[in-house]
Amino acid sequence: MSLSRHAQESPDAEALVSGDTRLTYRELADRSIELARLLPPDTGAGPLCVVAPKSPEAVALLLACFRDRRQVLLPSPELGTDVLHRLAAQARCTHLVSIPPEGTTDALSVTPLNTIPTPPAPPASPAPSAPLLLTTSGSTGLPKIVPLPEDGMDRFMAWATTHFGTAPGTRVLSYAPLNFDLSLLDVWATLSVGGTVVLVPPERATDSARLLATLTAARVQLVQSVPMLFRLLADAAEGAGRTLPDVRHVLLTGEATPPELLARTARLFPSARIHNVYGCTETNDSFVYEVERAGGRTELPLGVPLPGVSWTLLADDGRELTGEGTGELVVRTPFQTDGYLDPALNGDRFLRPPGADAVHYRTGDLVHRAADGTLTLRGRSDFQVKVRGVRTNLQDVEQALLLHPDVDEAVVVALPDPEAGARLHAVVRPTRDSARLNSLVLRSHCARHLPRTAIPGSLEITDEPLPRTSTGKPDRQSIKERQSAKERQLAEEHQLAKG
Amino acid sequence: MNSAPLKAWIVQQFVPDITPADLDDDYDLIDSGVVDSLRLLRLISWVCDANGIPLDEVPITPDNFRSVNAIRAFVESSAQSQASPAATG
Repeated sequence: MSLSRHAQESPDAEALVSGDTRLTYRELADRSIELARLLPPDTGAGPLCVVAPKSPEAVALLLACFRDRRQVLLPSPELGTDVLHRLAAQARCTHLVSIPPEGTTDALSVTPLNTIPTPPAPPASPAPSAPLLLTTSGSTGLPKIVPLPEDGMDRFMAWATTHFGTAPGTRVLSYAPLNFDLSLLDVWATLSVGGTVVLVPPERATDSARLLATLTAARVQLVQSVPMLFRLLADAAEGAGRTLPDVRHVLLTGEATPPELLARTARLFPSARIHNVYGCTETNDSFVYEVERAGGRTELPLGVPLPGVSWTLLADDGRELTGEGTGELVVRTPFQTDGYLDPALNGDRFLRPPGADAVHYRTGDLVHRAADGTLTLRGRSDFQVKVRGVRTNLQDVEQALLLHPDVDEAVVVALPDPEAGARLHAVVRPTRDSARLNSLVLRSHCARHLPRTAIPGSLEITDEPLPRTSTGKPDRQSIKERQSAKERQLAEEHQLAKG
Repeated sequence: MNSAPLKAWIVQQFVPDITPADLDDDYDLIDSGVVDSLRLLRLISWVCDANGIPLDEVPITPDNFRSVNAIRAFVESSAQSQASPAATG
């Protein structure tokens, strides 16, 4: 991706807006050239690991890397140091590059990494044509590294800008962190056509009133997000009797949008077309559905496959499902990765379905096909849920809890949450002779083993045996129902106390 | 600042299974997930309300609200900066 064309043809056009900071294409290109000079020399030995919370400077830094054809591993800035270094070692990164806090004299902080000469399981060398290595959001252990091929990224940006009519001057919100695949559409596709990216820095991401003010002031025209943003914006707008009439396209993504929020979203954006977009880091977007503004849908269909996408549903026995029924969605997109950086992780996630001539990705999502062909999501085929857009495996969280010496049994369930999509509830039975275990102790323990989104929102410690199914597995359904009933009762009591 | 009401509020709102005495003054509320980003806004607004600090002037800096100790320091420094103009005038 190159900014030089826009910097030459429309140097004074706005490239980035972030709070009071505004950067034109010329300023962004100049800054990016300055930062490129500060990068360590390219020895061809390996990628750079860039740790950068979203800011205009971080965008300029990544552009510098793209411009110089430096491969970048872009992990979440919220990862612990240990996980970060293991990821960087797996990708054989030569340096850790980050932006020092304001007030520091250096513009970049560059730390050489001691790559171990002979790691126990040497991964395949990353394909040189993959400019960007993103990571999946695993809840424990090491996130998987997903190399994004350059031609796939180009095809995705071409699709996105064409489909949503992004052009010079189009103002697009960047709500997701830069390390999320959503930034391909929000940031990189927009800059590739000379549009303006309006950055929401992470510390402003949950402040409804400021978010509404940002979208209003910047006259944002395209917004892509998980449902949480639309709820925050609707909360602020409805109270003030405001709407966002400048927005032309709204992209709902990441998780299912509840019907009540759909109606509020339509009112919030009176002039927008609303799209339900389905995708994941491995394949990028694969299906899109344009939502009827009039409402009436209780659940949104997946819609139609994007141009060039092939897909099928596989039944439990691995055979292709034809006709009506529910199966795992298996998909191939023109944008997808060729596999994880460590091929050992590909396992059965990448496969060639019966009769197909190319490798597809097993999404892990169960999809129902109705008699009329309509596709709808039915949940996960495994124990994965999304908390604030981050893929989290319930069993991984249980394993982390069980590492505590005073924990005998642990079951983690996901409860629907209007803000976060899902929130985790853990039920823990302490060992008989344990000292008094409390939720603070368990939280500190979790914080050492899990990313923050995977720390259960509520923890119940009980001496009762946990409910089990007839096959002896934890009865998650009954735990979920019991907790939901308890929360409903608490909410009612709270209402009574208030009224 | 007396931190008893603050501890009681945090425990009642976010960790009902413990007593305020179980909450250490330096317990990291943010890293442990007791206070997430949405709860942070509630916590800030409660702290400001309880201590008469104008909410508009408060930067949303999680570090100021990371622990009971951090909140106490924040409240005390806000009280000083409010008091100083009055003292000169």
